[in-house]
Amino acid sequence: MDLYAALQAIVNGVLTGALYALVGMGMALIFGVMRIVNFAHGAFMMLGMYAAYVLFTRTGLIPYLSFPLIAVAMFGLGYLVYQGLLRRIHGGSDFMQILLTLGIGLGLTDAVQLAFGADYHQINFAMLGVNLHLGSHITVSAPWLTSFAIAAALAGGLYFFVRHTMMGRAARAIAQNRGAAPLMGIHLHRVQAFCFGIGVAAAAVAGSLLLPVFYLYPGVGDQFTLKAFVIVVLGGMESIAGAAIAGLALGVVENLTSLYIGNEWALAVDFVIFLLVLSLRPGGIFGSQRA
Amino acid sequence: MKQRTAVFGAGLLAVSLLLPLLVHDDYQLQVLFRVYLFAALGLAWNLVGGYAGQLSLGHAAYFGAGAYGLALAARAGIPLWAAFLLLVLAAMAFALLIGGVSFRLSGPYFTLATVAFAEVLHAAAKNLPGVTGGDVGAQVPALFHSHVNRSFYFCAVGLAAAAFAATLLISRSRFGYYLMAIREDQDAALAVGVDVSGFKLRALLVSAALTALGGALYGSMFLFIVPDQVLSIDISNEIAIVAMLGGAGTVAGPLVGAAVLESAAELFKSVFQEAHLLIYGLLLILVVLFAPEGIVGGITAILRRRKRAEAPRRAAGD
Amino acid sequence: MAILELNRVTKRFGGLVAANDVSFAVNEAEVAFIVGPNGAGKTTLFNLISGVFHPDSGSIRFLGRDISRIRPDDAARLGIGRTFQLVKPLRNLTVLENVMLGAFLHTASRAKAADAAREVLSYLQMERFEAAPAGGLPLPMLKRLEIARALAIRPRVILLDEVMAGLSTAEALALAETLKRLPERGVAAVAGVEHVMQVVMKIADRVVVLDQGALIAEGAPREVVREPRVVEAYLGARYKELGL
Repeated sequence: MDLYAALQAIVNGVLTGALYALVGMGMALIFGVMRIVNFAHGAFMMLGMYAAYVLFTRTGLIPYLSFPLIAVAMFGLGYLVYQGLLRRIHGGSDFMQILLTLGIGLGLTDAVQLAFGADYHQINFAMLGVNLHLGSHITVSAPWLTSFAIAAALAGGLYFFVRHTMMGRAARAIAQNRGAAPLMGIHLHRVQAFCFGIGVAAAAVAGSLLLPVFYLYPGVGDQFTLKAFVIVVLGGMESIAGAAIAGLALGVVENLTSLYIGNEWALAVDFVIFLLVLSLRPGGIFGSQRA
Repeated sequence: MKQRTAVFGAGLLAVSLLLPLLVHDDYQLQVLFRVYLFAALGLAWNLVGGYAGQLSLGHAAYFGAGAYGLALAARAGIPLWAAFLLLVLAAMAFALLIGGVSFRLSGPYFTLATVAFAEVLHAAAKNLPGVTGGDVGAQVPALFHSHVNRSFYFCAVGLAAAAFAATLLISRSRFGYYLMAIREDQDAALAVGVDVSGFKLRALLVSAALTALGGALYGSMFLFIVPDQVLSIDISNEIAIVAMLGGAGTVAGPLVGAAVLESAAELFKSVFQEAHLLIYGLLLILVVLFAPEGIVGGITAILRRRKRAEAPRRAAGD
Repeated sequence: MAILELNRVTKRFGGLVAANDVSFAVNEAEVAFIVGPNGAGKTTLFNLISGVFHPDSGSIRFLGRDISRIRPDDAARLGIGRTFQLVKPLRNLTVLENVMLGAFLHTASRAKAADAAREVLSYLQMERFEAAPAGGLPLPMLKRLEIARALAIRPRVILLDEVMAGLSTAEALALAETLKRLPERGVAAVAGVEHVMQVVMKIADRVVVLDQGALIAEGAPREVVREPRVVEAYLGARYKELGL
């Protein structure tokens, strides 16, 4: 069979995977620090996508340039959502926080639908048609390459944040021992709000980077919430690095599935892998055994 | 309390059966159908989610199994009564598989697993057009040819009554106590000899059977089903929200929840067109933040508090 | 005769040896105490006996039957009852309903379970709390509730994990009286305690002393407290407490 087709699928997979990694890392951060399974994650990604759309149609600013604005705005939104809503069920059951984030996600999705309608949108600009050729067999589209570069840089930044900044260290302290962290002078809710903001911003930026190559509609985020779960579980619930690798892996697996089995089965394959991992290695491929 | 709930249920049933004498409008009967259907679905979900405390967000799997089961059985020429039997068995088979894997996981992992299973079925239905008709959809046989809306309404009432009765029986039995113990503290339940996984599975089997019947009814009402309609995560969410809103773990909860949610949705639809997700989202947020016990649970708590406040007054007054 | 026998039981968690080659036996109609500071391995032993964990090596026998690899609910059905160090009341149920949960092991009828539960509650002098929601009880009553629920399954042996912890001396002594009478019901008691030596001396038939997962002494109370290793491990204030 055509080896180059497979190689192309892998390349595409890595490019897509970088965005998945960003989304997944955001969710891993949120789950790791707050033990919150963020069912609204995809909705925030969708918001980022719509924000990029609005910025583009109003100002002509392409997502590859507007994403910092979106990141900051969505960080603020995430921070507020934590302080206003999530904080109130701190200490509550898993049930409650799943339902709360679910409610937030549903609310956001439909609020957007009310504002923008259910129609599909897409944007178009010069770069979209540009393709780079590696050798005579592999093609890489410029938008994908750009989004890959930005996503990779941000993922690296996120990793750096978690491992080397004070805030990141505070986050890890909370993740390891929620009870003791405040005793060490860590302001629990401020750090958690911050981390939620970052997690949400990561998803939103991924969304904005996706806009040039994806159809936009209110429900677009749902599949990404589900994909983010798969990535996080694969990567070992709390591991940021694990989520990054899992995101790349998922992108590759999806593209290979599309190539050999068919496009429609990509999401199903995600879930089958997800269930296999949950059944056989609940700690994830990279995580510690703590399911 | 035991007698009171049964009497209340009987009374509600009587009223519900007589309602069509007053309501003739087709549209209104359809709304009522939806209310009672989701009451039944909520009650069914409640066995697993409310009593056993296992948050399943994948009940669409059983709903869809029911709808598609009826469609496929009919296409194969199987008589209706056998089709219903088969679809219930199919749903229970799914429950065994899904429960067998998912119940080994705890907390959010369990919930995610239920979502994943439902989505796999969703994808399978979309991608196997030879079997299910894919996105184009499948035809479902009509159960009734005359007085359609009224007949379906009665069916929905019947299903809700069955689910209500099942819930009542279970909650009053050892089975129910074991489920509640599992919800409160699994380790304590194990320590008194409760076969935790066995009982969770049993609750899921009953839940799946009732949910599948609801799906079949729904499919037959619309005569045509597509995967995005009967296997989507939206259905799973709506079922869970109905029970949570009314009060998970209570017998009357899902009834109240269905009535409130579906009427609110209808109201919103006439004002906002397609805003139904918004109402679900907002209600869910409000319930979680301010009334985690749901409407019925909240009312019971207020009544209990008032009774306790009266007690010292009564003692002092003697 | 011995109803519970541990033979060279060892359990490791990563690098920590929580149970180190522990061997002892408990006879029918006996009140045994496992004594050791927190972290000595008492809870681990209880978890091993009741099937929550399985030993890495060694064996556990109950009524002559090897139970090293059973599930916790099987252990309960065989006749091993237990309480938990951090009490686990079913808060939203009443006291009676909590105990009925144990009684349900022998009957499916609510009425019979309620009767059996009432009998246990009166045995533990808790009848007046019957209708109270379990979540509202004070700690000493919660500890009694744990015991009541475990007794309702009609066990042959009951494992009481730190059942005295958090109680005042008076409360502990009162509870001890109850424990002393358990063999009359055909229940052997194995209680894990940290330092209520007065109680231990008063009611124990047998004492097992643990230190960092290993058994350092076993026997009648009077003999055990004289053992040099025990004295060494429990020097100082406790030495004085023993009145030696």
